[in-house]
Amino acid sequence: MDKLDIPQGTLDLMILTILVREPMHGYGVSQRLATLSGDQFRVNPGSLFPSLYRLEQDGKLKAEWRATENNRRAKYYRLTASGRRQLDQHRERWNRVSVAVASVLEGA
Amino acid sequence: MTLWHRLVSIVRWIFRRNRAERDLNDELEAFVDMAAADETRDGATPAEARRRAVLQLGGLEQTKECVRGARHGAWLDVAGRDVRYGLRQVRRNPAFSAIAVATFALGIGGLAAIFSAFDAVLIRPLPYTDAERLVMIWDAMGQTDITARHNSTPAELLEWRRLNSVFTDLASTQPGDATLSGGREPERVPARKVTWTFWSVLGVGPMLGRVFTENEDNNGARVILISHGLWQRRFGGASDVIGREISLNDEPYEVIGIMPQRFYFMPSREIDIWMPASFPPSMRTNFTWHDAEIVARLKPGVTLDQARQSMEALSLQLTAKDSRGPHSVVIIPLREEIAGRTRTALILLLSASAALLLIACVNLTNLLLSRGIARSREVAVRAALGASRGRLVAQFLVESLVLAALGTVAGLTLAVPAMRFLERLVPEAMGAVRLTLDWRVLAFSTAAAIGAAVTFALAPALRGSRVAPLEGLRDGGRSIAGPRSHWFQQSLIVVETALAVVLLTCGGLLLQTFQHLRNTDVGFRTEKLLTFETQLFRYKDFDRRVAFINSELDAVRAISGVVNAGAISRIPFTNLADATFYWLEGQPRTEIPKQVALMRNVSRDYFATVGATLQEGRFFNAADQASTLPLAIINEPFATRHFGSRSPLGQRFKFGSTGEKGHWYTIVGVVKPIREAGVLEKMKPAVYRLHEHCDQIGTLETGIVVRTAVEPASIVPAVRQAIWSLDKDQPLARIRTMEEIVDRQLSTPTQSTELLGAFALLALVLASLGIYGVLSYAVTQRTNEIGVRMALGATSNQVLLSFGKRGIAVALVGLAIGIVLAGIASRLMQTLLYGFRPDYITTVIAVSAIVIAVAALACLVPARRASRIDPMIAVRQE
Repeated sequence: MDKLDIPQGTLDLMILTILVREPMHGYGVSQRLATLSGDQFRVNPGSLFPSLYRLEQDGKLKAEWRATENNRRAKYYRLTASGRRQLDQHRERWNRVSVAVASVLEGA
Repeated sequence: MTLWHRLVSIVRWIFRRNRAERDLNDELEAFVDMAAADETRDGATPAEARRRAVLQLGGLEQTKECVRGARHGAWLDVAGRDVRYGLRQVRRNPAFSAIAVATFALGIGGLAAIFSAFDAVLIRPLPYTDAERLVMIWDAMGQTDITARHNSTPAELLEWRRLNSVFTDLASTQPGDATLSGGREPERVPARKVTWTFWSVLGVGPMLGRVFTENEDNNGARVILISHGLWQRRFGGASDVIGREISLNDEPYEVIGIMPQRFYFMPSREIDIWMPASFPPSMRTNFTWHDAEIVARLKPGVTLDQARQSMEALSLQLTAKDSRGPHSVVIIPLREEIAGRTRTALILLLSASAALLLIACVNLTNLLLSRGIARSREVAVRAALGASRGRLVAQFLVESLVLAALGTVAGLTLAVPAMRFLERLVPEAMGAVRLTLDWRVLAFSTAAAIGAAVTFALAPALRGSRVAPLEGLRDGGRSIAGPRSHWFQQSLIVVETALAVVLLTCGGLLLQTFQHLRNTDVGFRTEKLLTFETQLFRYKDFDRRVAFINSELDAVRAISGVVNAGAISRIPFTNLADATFYWLEGQPRTEIPKQVALMRNVSRDYFATVGATLQEGRFFNAADQASTLPLAIINEPFATRHFGSRSPLGQRFKFGSTGEKGHWYTIVGVVKPIREAGVLEKMKPAVYRLHEHCDQIGTLETGIVVRTAVEPASIVPAVRQAIWSLDKDQPLARIRTMEEIVDRQLSTPTQSTELLGAFALLALVLASLGIYGVLSYAVTQRTNEIGVRMALGATSNQVLLSFGKRGIAVALVGLAIGIVLAGIASRLMQTLLYGFRPDYITTVIAVSAIVIAVAALACLVPARRASRIDPMIAVRQE
């Protein structure tokens, strides 16, 4: 079965959701995304990494180099307070959008 | 996302670019490693695992590129690439680039240099508090013909201070040359007598010491303030000079203050001493003592017009009872007063340099348009490879900006030496100025350069980037210039031709005026004439003054190389002072207020020394002695005013201020007018008296003129010795040759003529290059068409004519528009013509002839090339 493209504008929301539990490196985020979506989403690093960079530049994420469990150095991203606020806002908006979309679809 | 955040990350990106790149590299390597580790766990060989991992990443370099694009500073990278590409283009077409850079440099350099002078004279704040509220007030004595405006009187100042409602305060300054003696060699320095209000009106104070008080002014206290220059020059900058007594005009004065270096005030930057005005009682009530220059500060909220109305009314009311009848006042902002005619000259020159820059831009637009068409194939390739229209426009613009930046640097480099020349344009009433490329000039030129660059680059960029890839490629590199493009290029030529015509016409008018001024008959021979001034206040009575003048003339005549020497109370050309009312015998006294003449006291052989021309009667001679009847020689305007065609000889007049007791002066001669008031001023009526007959109204200084057989400057030391042998405390002031005086007077017309002339010639050259460029480009474009026409039987003469006609037609349209604009411009520059009426029609005809000739030449070369095209070769080129 063909994998799905991640809907426009939702990648940031998913990244923030994943990172709110624990800090993680880019590969970890991509793996987690694949797992959580039940392998439905095609996670393209060509858009994942620019998103991570943008969020970091905007101060939503903070990055630091740390060792992985396999003792390899990797860049870990952690949510900042401002990132947490952004997550709350986005999630709230997404909930409204999905409820709205769902009711439109059901009503049709 | 705050702006601050964005800036920080851009800056961080610029400075930590290498680290960021390393970081990115490491991060993606880590991704690949981890992905590969997972693949290995799934059983792949290490090499295969890595290949799959890179594949999963979507290509290492591509991902990096995506991340770089997401960075805030990303556009900087793009711009940097465009600039590098632009520079490569510059190097690839050195001839094109050199022409473009040089054209732009001329435009920007001229503008920057002129702006620096414009800024210094007309924009920079004057060194007074809130200087824009300062005005000068002059008497408007329309009824006399010496000048439309006149110095005011101390009595008026006192009344105005008491009664006006529009000024916070007023102050007056009066001439008062001073001789410094004692200790070192005597020195005469320019001084001004000022009222105690002077300092508060201007809002300036001394850098050291204090100013004098109202009491000191009223009581004639002997206190002075000195200039920074005099302090350095004569007192070595000693700080204990405050409180020191110095000998001024043989009287002890106390130095109470030193003015700041930047301070100056009308009429000249050279004033070294300010002393209390201390009006004598007679001056306080006498409305005829016109030697005060009045400066006043407008009250907050009062406009210039309100002040004018209010003061005109007040003046008419005050002078209603004056014997000479009521008169009004003229109020002029201080800035305008100081800048004088230089203001018009600078406005004209700044407009001219802006026009030149515009012409340069027009040429560059044409050059770029032509090149853009030639590059359409390159553009088509880029467009086909996916470059968006916006990217192409941006790249064209950046290329032009690179050219403009190089041109600006070259232009500013050119501007610096030009500034040295322009410094001489700064008026004498203003502090000396050192023009530099300061931030104001840099900011202005940069803004102008960016504006100009966008102006000249935009049309070519838009046009050059508009390429349909298929068409551009299929065309095999041949151009696709449509009729609209020709129309656009031709209207650009019209614009630049018109501007060049305006500059040439204005230049021609100035040149004529300048020649007229240069050739003005000044009434005597100016070459080999040395002039200087000596002071007479040292000799307490009239007889001793006369004796000193006569003995100094004898001493000077004894010097070898001296042909003759004479004395006159004011050296010609130097000022308007010493004018007085008079009345002719038989005239009613009511005529007095309408009659003013310049009054000069001369020695017996003054006229012979300067080489004046006698028109009627005789000059003074040895028979005229102190004991004989007072005599006068008048100039031609005086004679014409009163006697018309009758002979004035034997007629008598009295001076108005001496009343009934005054001497009757008998007219014995008429001299061809001498330009007493200056080369630029209109001729005034003047009377000359023998200095032995001036016991009633005399002056305390005298000018000496020396006719030499040798170079005048070479006898200066001998003249000094001769004078000092008579009086060791007698200073010689203002030692100059007559030719220096004339040159100094003509410096504004000389320089504005030279500069405008240079601009006009450059404009002509650029415009002709423009015509040449466009036409020769059209020929290249249409080689094929010409070939076909010739193959079909057109003769080479027909081809020559058709191209030549087109170029000339465009130039003619430009010429016509230019002539109309020049008519307007010449009206705006009236004050620079000094009342002279240059021959406008001849100028326009000459300019038209030049422009048509140059345009014809510029057309001829490409048109001939077109006519020599070999039809076979041209057609085969297809």
